[in-house]
Amino acid sequence: MDIFEGIITAIGKGDAPSVAALTRDALAKGIPAEDILNKGYLAGMNIVGRLFKANEIFIPEVLIAAQAMKAGMAILKPILAASKVKSAGKIVIGTVQGDLHDIGKNIVSMLLEGAGFEVIDLGCDVSKQKFVETVEKESPDILGMSALLTTTMTYMRDIIQCLESAGVRKAVKVIVGGAPVTQTYADEIAADGYARDAASAVELVRSLVAP
Amino acid sequence: MIGDGIADRARKAFAEGRRLVAPLMGFPGIELTGSNIKVAQQNYGEHFKILKRLADRFSPDIIFPLMDLSIEANAMGRYTIFPRRDSATVPRDCFLLEEIDRFRDINISFDSRVLGYVETQKLMHIGLPPHILKAAYVTGPYTVAALIMGSQEAAVATIGNRSDLGLLCEVATGKILQYVRLLAAAGADGIVVLEPSAAMLGPAQFEEFSAAYVKAITAACRHNGVDTILHICGNTTHLVRSMAGSGVSGISLDSSEAGVDIEAVAASLPEDVVVIGNVNPTTTMLRGRPEDVRMEVRKLLDSMERHPNFVLSTGCDLPQETPLANIEAFMEAGREERRPAERKGRCEGRQVQEAYPE
Repeated sequence: MDIFEGIITAIGKGDAPSVAALTRDALAKGIPAEDILNKGYLAGMNIVGRLFKANEIFIPEVLIAAQAMKAGMAILKPILAASKVKSAGKIVIGTVQGDLHDIGKNIVSMLLEGAGFEVIDLGCDVSKQKFVETVEKESPDILGMSALLTTTMTYMRDIIQCLESAGVRKAVKVIVGGAPVTQTYADEIAADGYARDAASAVELVRSLVAP
Repeated sequence: MIGDGIADRARKAFAEGRRLVAPLMGFPGIELTGSNIKVAQQNYGEHFKILKRLADRFSPDIIFPLMDLSIEANAMGRYTIFPRRDSATVPRDCFLLEEIDRFRDINISFDSRVLGYVETQKLMHIGLPPHILKAAYVTGPYTVAALIMGSQEAAVATIGNRSDLGLLCEVATGKILQYVRLLAAAGADGIVVLEPSAAMLGPAQFEEFSAAYVKAITAACRHNGVDTILHICGNTTHLVRSMAGSGVSGISLDSSEAGVDIEAVAASLPEDVVVIGNVNPTTTMLRGRPEDVRMEVRKLLDSMERHPNFVLSTGCDLPQETPLANIEAFMEAGREERRPAERKGRCEGRQVQEAYPE
């Protein structure tokens, strides 16, 4: 089994120690960090994403796979930064005010990081002001918002309006997600995109930052 | 329970050409009293006042209290937040496995918030009309475990730490049963088990960490002559068989936009399990117009025409800001006479009226 296949398998099994060990092996063999990222991690997570969409695996399996990939990223990230590999884009992400749910948002963060994006994760219960201030400061390509309650998803509209008032709305693409959120709601609040699940979120982000 | 349970009432209604109409509508009642969520969830008099206003205004066939997923975990000593305008929540906090032994020793029957909800149930039993079924909420075992352990940690534990997670689910079930017995004694006609965290599990994980424990709850309820309903928000298509197989009287399902085809679910399950749902609580009920509500209700009723075991409800709990006019439209459309011949005649009559307006 070649080293990339080994990483893909380890990610699929959620075997974080093996992903880390294989990453070190690959680097020791002189394999470029970017290749490990693309042919190992991304390839592995793409398979996980396909299986998830086909309802063959569920959130727990996706989580352990993403955590295994994150274990490898902890080794790879400084090397990618040092070799000045250009990030695929910058995204600010968070769960809205009053909402403490974060699994989906965390999986999206991990997957995007694995896909080569710079991710600024604001956590959960993030105020409107914090979202706007971070967008002003970081100038991300994407702002991602998550809500899991019907009572908190309404803040997404407020945040978009705050971005307008701050004069930064046009500079950032806004995507939304979470259980009660729908495409209809995303269209209603003039978000730029809606993702039903974590795998779709990565595809959506890629499509929005594509030149 | 006074009289028939939910399944019998649903069938009786169907035979009479109508449906039970029961939106999940605790929070909008706050608009009728001028209270707020924090007060309502801690003051059982205020809570009952809200439910009484809802019952007086809308006369649903089943009335549900304000949803509160924090009760059991709070009673077990977990840190809980009480926002003014949102439901009480249990944020992620440090959890050590050794705490499980301490949880075992706590009898939540003496917890002040638990007793507050039990008092609400007593007031519902004596203060609301007998024809309205009175439901109570409890949090499901896997969701309580996820609140205590952390939802991400619990999800990972379904694969990597099954024995500890199982232990926590077992202890949580013990606490839930303490609460269920009090609610049943207080006059609850039905117990709705809220298991939102389980939506992310696969069927095997759901069986192991939710259904297996829900069965103990349904058995206790049956012993007390009380119905059980299992409500899980989100797309639960992959779980409905297990949900129905956990001994519940009914399953409550989220909207078609969440991914649930309620007609297909009803067609796949035995008729002794009531299927409840699933008008969209946000797109339609919160943000739609009354005519949008009527349209979705009628379309749903048409699609469920051949299922005697269907109860019209919303896909999830309605937000506080849901326009009362939309709830009125929901109730009116839900209560329209549904006999096939009369419905056909009414449609034809409407067409004639539109062609020849007076």
